[in-house]
Amino acid sequence: MESGQASEYVSLKDNTICLRCGKDNGASDFPLVGDKPFCYSCGELITNWPYPKWLKVSLACLLVLLLVALVHGRKYFRAGRAMYKGERLVQQGDYTNALPYLQETLRIAPGSDKAVLLLSKAALLTGIVAIAQQALQGHGGGHFENADSESFREVDALWTRAINALEKIDKASKIANEDGKAAEAARLMHEAVAAYPEMPGLAAAAEVFDEGTAFEQKDYDTFLAITMKEWKQHPGSETAAAVASALACKYAVTGDAQYRVQANEMLGRSHELVAGNPEAETRFEEYSERIEYRLKSRQIISTPEYNRRFRNNLAGKG
Amino acid sequence: MFFIPGFVIAALTFPGVIIHETGHLFFCRLFKLQVYDVCFFRFGNPAGYVIHEKTDNFRALFFVSMGPFFANTLLCVVFCTAAFLPVWELKVTDPLAYFFYWLGLSIGMHAFPSTADLSNMWELAPEKAKRGNVLAILSLPLVAILYVLNFARFFWADLWYGIGVGVLAPIALFRALAR
Repeated sequence: MESGQASEYVSLKDNTICLRCGKDNGASDFPLVGDKPFCYSCGELITNWPYPKWLKVSLACLLVLLLVALVHGRKYFRAGRAMYKGERLVQQGDYTNALPYLQETLRIAPGSDKAVLLLSKAALLTGIVAIAQQALQGHGGGHFENADSESFREVDALWTRAINALEKIDKASKIANEDGKAAEAARLMHEAVAAYPEMPGLAAAAEVFDEGTAFEQKDYDTFLAITMKEWKQHPGSETAAAVASALACKYAVTGDAQYRVQANEMLGRSHELVAGNPEAETRFEEYSERIEYRLKSRQIISTPEYNRRFRNNLAGKG
Repeated sequence: MFFIPGFVIAALTFPGVIIHETGHLFFCRLFKLQVYDVCFFRFGNPAGYVIHEKTDNFRALFFVSMGPFFANTLLCVVFCTAAFLPVWELKVTDPLAYFFYWLGLSIGMHAFPSTADLSNMWELAPEKAKRGNVLAILSLPLVAILYVLNFARFFWADLWYGIGVGVLAPIALFRALAR
């Protein structure tokens, strides 16, 4: 400057004052950290800010909690994994294989709406009503959080269908022993099959009831055809005896000795198959006596009638 | 939309605030940035903070700003995963599970970086992206989304984020494990 007062450069940054705590170092500068002045303690602090003790303890606790959470949650992970597996199998229509997974889930979480509904669905679509009943009734007496959910409505519809079918089966079983009710019993069984085709063995059982209808209607060819089919599908003492019974009927109405020979053969087979089973032997004694009577007398009478005549008012099936 | 004072939310979800700030501090120390002040939790706005030096190192800035976002999200997933099945799917009345869910959601709720963190990144990212910094390029859309979500905090975006992470992540995880 050519005129006026002499100028002086004044630094706006006073390196004698700590930038963080404001400590004044008098005439001496504080050492620069980066390009800023800090006192010794602040300089140490800003370059290596310590984690407070309480924070370290808290973080250690958090880690412990994390471990606890994972260990504690192990059984839930297992149950959840089983549920998702079961759910996937249900979605794929593999209901039989879904059952054990969903049952495993319910052992740990019996209150899970989702698992109960999935298990009930799988059980009902496999035809095992007892599992569904146990799951549904064991779940707060059958109460669910959301009765409007699609899964609930689906299981509800399946359940209603299964129960209706079971009622028909029960009624059919009761009246099947009554004279002249075989056709009605068979009709009820077929209605049950139509209502609940998922139940294993129900269609076969309905065919057994058809035997009764054919017998009652004196349609012995159909009676024989059905019993032969049953015998081929499920060879056993009772199916063999049913064939013997039908052959005895054919002998009774035709007098063809071949039928008598075949009936005796089948009765023999039936006897062979009951060997070692006291219950089956008792049943064999009951029906073999009637079949032998039919072969000897060529008279076809129902079981109740046979019982009335020869067994002092015992009731029984034809 | 109902209003709950910020200090009430912060008090109810304090573990998330502490973990968020610890995340900032951890990355500042990792990248050797000067730290001028730290508050892990307080009844005020913001509920916690870490004041650190400015840096031109985008990698350092990214991790200091976004580190807590990833750390809180991860911890939220872990705690909520541990509690998700008993609470949501299995309907088991397990107090410990509810505690873990609260902890997970509290941590997840405080995952969002602050507007200041995002602003710092937003200032530096375009220039670094132009120079081909991959992290800067990748961070641009993320920062933009988080910026918007930060403003949506008024509509509980932070809570919805916590719930979303705490519910959707375990579902995805368990469904993948069930395959």
